[in-house]
Amino acid sequence: MSQPLFEIGADGIDAEAIVREIRETVEQKVRDGLLPDPAAARAERHNLAYLRDQDSLMEYYMACLREAVYVDINDFEIRERRRFGSGALKALKTTIWKLLKFYTYRLWSQQNQANGLLVAAVDGVDQKLSRKVAEQEARIQALEEKLAAIESAAGSNP
Amino acid sequence: MKLRLAFVTPRFLETGAAGGAETLLKHLAHRAAAAGHTVEILTTCARDHFTWQNTEPPGTRLLDDLTVRFFPVNEDRDLETFIRIQTSISQGSPVPREEEEAWIRNSVNSRDLMQHLRASIDDYDLLLAGPYLFGVTWSVATAHPDKTLLVPCLHDEPFAYLEIFHDMLRQARGCLFNARAEQTLAEALCAFPPERGRIVGMSIDTFNADPNAFARRHNIQRPYLLYSGRRESMKGTPMLTDYVDTFCRRTGRDLMLVMTGSGPIEAPDSLLPHLLDVGFVSETEKHEAMAGALAFCHPSRNESFGIVLLEAWLAGRPALVSSGGAVLVEHCRACGGGLWFSNYPEFEAELLLLMDQPDLAATMAQQGKAYVQSVYSQRAIDRRFADALAAFAPAHQAAARAALVEQKETAP
Repeated sequence: MSQPLFEIGADGIDAEAIVREIRETVEQKVRDGLLPDPAAARAERHNLAYLRDQDSLMEYYMACLREAVYVDINDFEIRERRRFGSGALKALKTTIWKLLKFYTYRLWSQQNQANGLLVAAVDGVDQKLSRKVAEQEARIQALEEKLAAIESAAGSNP
Repeated sequence: MKLRLAFVTPRFLETGAAGGAETLLKHLAHRAAAAGHTVEILTTCARDHFTWQNTEPPGTRLLDDLTVRFFPVNEDRDLETFIRIQTSISQGSPVPREEEEAWIRNSVNSRDLMQHLRASIDDYDLLLAGPYLFGVTWSVATAHPDKTLLVPCLHDEPFAYLEIFHDMLRQARGCLFNARAEQTLAEALCAFPPERGRIVGMSIDTFNADPNAFARRHNIQRPYLLYSGRRESMKGTPMLTDYVDTFCRRTGRDLMLVMTGSGPIEAPDSLLPHLLDVGFVSETEKHEAMAGALAFCHPSRNESFGIVLLEAWLAGRPALVSSGGAVLVEHCRACGGGLWFSNYPEFEAELLLLMDQPDLAATMAQQGKAYVQSVYSQRAIDRRFADALAAFAPAHQAAARAALVEQKETAP
């Protein structure tokens, strides 16, 4: 049961290798600060729950989160795709939007503000913890080097 | 060895848009009948998977060359309780065992179907039931675990973490999975014993489709990415529309997203000039759409088989799939017919690769096609299905089979 049902031949395309290479390139771009731009970050709004599991893309995830929490509450162009009665329908939609905006703008702008503060807090905690982890890792490495030096000295001088 | 098999499925549709799991069970029933087994379908009178109203008359009919027994769905189920608990489960909230049971008892069940099985259980050697999350499947599998072969169509979703389903999977006589990733998930979820699982799947018929027909019919003059299936967040379609919209704006490439299937499309306004929704189409038109596409994209994380992905390979096109869809990735990894992405930058890089390297895309598609023709040919499925039935056949049937073999061997 452990044998795969099918394997590509040696001369076939190795999808695994292509995906691995693409991932490494993306991670390098994130490290170099080339990603994400706001458009790419906004595209992740439906994928945020899964992005957070990717340690190497934490910075990317935070940028995406910052883009996603701010709900667009500004005016937008109201369109009507139906041909029949499009003028009246467009006017009706515009009136409904104006009313809705009048009653909800204050609420949503405050919600946006709260969302922004929460993300800033999470961002701050992440940066603080990342810094601490980096410091601890550096300390462990220094201690390991010190220990290795002691062991090596003890080995050459029994 | 000829067995008497009952296939239990919540719905049986002769034609039209059945779910993937229902299509799979119907397919296996046909293959079992073709192999000479006695086959019956036990199903409900419902046709609509939202309302579950009893629209088919109850009784036995010969449909599609199969004997189908229709039983009414219980009409006294407590929908309020069902929906309340279902909402909690969907949100990933912990639900106590008694609530899980209340939920499944108020799911799609049929007392008449269970009564029929109680009275006639000796008439069947095995019951093949699925998919896993319906009351009918659970009731049959828990009432007759020693005769039940589950066809769970399992995927990593909140419902798969319920204890009632873990017990059901462990206690069943066996499970027929569609892919190794599905069995691996069952083993991880509930310590499902590996020796009681078999990977079968369903055969995908080869077809010829004109790669220019779809574009000609819809006056498409640019490359398009295709998605076929239900349009809903569980299938990842809102993410796909966002990704394609961003791709067009960021790269400036002239690309279209074509969607076939049912359900509303959630898409940003800026995508509208790049979006073609053709709704539910015939199999032929779907295959033509696949054959003419730049690539097929399957953004779902919730697949146990991925029939459309395999069809796209048969149509001669490569694929892009979500890395969260373990079964889809398994298919792509096995044959090299597709690439998988876990975020937008990966999606963009892979799509650009397929656009800029048509030879690579063509080779990937060929590898995918060879994989489907080898692993999911009718012959391969018949062999794996026959092996599975032989492995799980009741002891008296196995003894009869052994006697038959001995008789053949000792014959002059």
